[in-house]
Amino acid sequence: MYNSKHRSWLLTSLSRSSDIAQAANSGADVVVLDLVELVTDKDKAMARRAAHPAIDTVCAGGADAYVQIDPTALDDDLRASVWPGLSGIVVSRTESVAQVTAVDDLLFSLEKERSIIPGTVSIVVSLETARGNQDAYDIINASKRVCAVTLGRADLVMDLRPEPSGEFHLMPYLIQRLIIIARALGVTPIGAWWRSPDRGLLATPENTQNAARRGRAIGFKGAMCLRTNQIDALNRAYG
Amino acid sequence: VTQRTSKKVRRSGLTMPIVTARFIDNAWRRGCDFITIDLEDSVPQDRKEYARTLVREAIHAVSKGGAEAFTRINHDLMRADTEAAVWPGLKRIKYPKTEYSSEIRELDAIITHLEHERGIEPGSIEIDPGLETAVGISNAYEIASASPRVREFGATNGGYDLSRDLGVEMFVDYDQFVYCRGEAELATRALGLGVRASPFVANTTGSVSDGKRALRLAEAARHCGLLLGGGGLNPAVVESHNIGYTPSDENVRDATWVLDQYERVVASGEAWMEIEGRVIDCYEAERARGTLEWAGMCAERDREKAEAVEQVRVQMARDEKP
Repeated sequence: MYNSKHRSWLLTSLSRSSDIAQAANSGADVVVLDLVELVTDKDKAMARRAAHPAIDTVCAGGADAYVQIDPTALDDDLRASVWPGLSGIVVSRTESVAQVTAVDDLLFSLEKERSIIPGTVSIVVSLETARGNQDAYDIINASKRVCAVTLGRADLVMDLRPEPSGEFHLMPYLIQRLIIIARALGVTPIGAWWRSPDRGLLATPENTQNAARRGRAIGFKGAMCLRTNQIDALNRAYG
Repeated sequence: VTQRTSKKVRRSGLTMPIVTARFIDNAWRRGCDFITIDLEDSVPQDRKEYARTLVREAIHAVSKGGAEAFTRINHDLMRADTEAAVWPGLKRIKYPKTEYSSEIRELDAIITHLEHERGIEPGSIEIDPGLETAVGISNAYEIASASPRVREFGATNGGYDLSRDLGVEMFVDYDQFVYCRGEAELATRALGLGVRASPFVANTTGSVSDGKRALRLAEAARHCGLLLGGGGLNPAVVESHNIGYTPSDENVRDATWVLDQYERVVASGEAWMEIEGRVIDCYEAERARGTLEWAGMCAERDREKAEAVEQVRVQMARDEKP
């Protein structure tokens, strides 16, 4: 399942059309078109309408297209996202086996409806809550589509703040736990070992490079980021 | 976003040996949010039975300055100690060296029975399981979920007993308990309990009475959003814990500023903005709201304690008059 070409995953808001064009040609291996973290509630409908053309734009630029969805808005988000060209779905804040099963089921019916070969669309589970991390093993095992796992923006979602050492509270434990479970189940652990003052995948190019070096050393393969100027550091560190 | 604040303000506490009358008698003067009446390590084996006869009165004595009264029982004398400790006014039983969820369920049943028998609000007394062994750490999730009386949870940042059981040295300059604390804290958060944890700050000296170090630790914990103090053994640390766990005026001003900026972000229709070099988004706003709420709770708690202390002093002055 592991795709060694996926070194950099750029998270891009589907509510900002100029960002999408830029992301497609940014050098990122994967563009994650976001319907969750970077889209305000009032922009959700507009962002969903933008998903289909955005997937084409990303593919035309040579990157793989993923869409990050909200499992509590599963139906709307997946119907907006599953189109030919889509490589996979990032399920933000995954917390249960039932959520993954529901994503899996709906993907099969949408693939059928839209003439996509069944099983084409893969799943990345983003474990950003304590419950999700606690049940990581069963969650990853819930669907054959799960190809990768990440902590996403757990530092923000779980409110894990920097300790005097610079480490995010609890994060060294969560990182190691995630990587062990990922390797045990044969899926790819995605992430970097971020430290203060990095925040929610956002960091300077230099800090991104350091986080990626540490991340690679501890077992991550490729990482997500928020800005195009972080991509080069990820591509080099995870290359 | 879930804010991991406890509903209770428990910044500072002292563990008091019940058989030393002057410690119990003066506990109310210490300014603690809680006092733990100890039946365990500070009581010699041959005085355990005598110690039990003192608890009911001690609960009243230690809490008259506004502190919550807890009792630490002996693991191997659980039933007898609990029967001696569950009286009106007691808020929590600390159960050291917990290893199995069945132990917590057994303690829960005993407390439930005693609450009923002694006219105490059902379910009001908490259980605080102490994780001090490898077995306890291995069963952390099951222990934390064994009873609704467990409302706060965590592994100590390397207590003596845990160190001894694991064969790990106490006073080193690296974080030797990453896994232990992680196991307990993930369980705590997954169950939505109050997080009792602290950031790693090396202690190579072994000092437990250094007020400056205590202040630094408490501030570091609060900056991490960790608001439940573990208490201490020496009165020198109480004020440091009260101050360190309470937001400063500057923290309150900053939180207010963040919320003002977040209103601008919302008005602009963006999900986030960078303002004066800082990212302002829903997460920062949530943290800021948490800081303001916590500052309010701390102020309220301080007022409660000051009132209780004042009442004791008035009563004492009255008693002194012929």
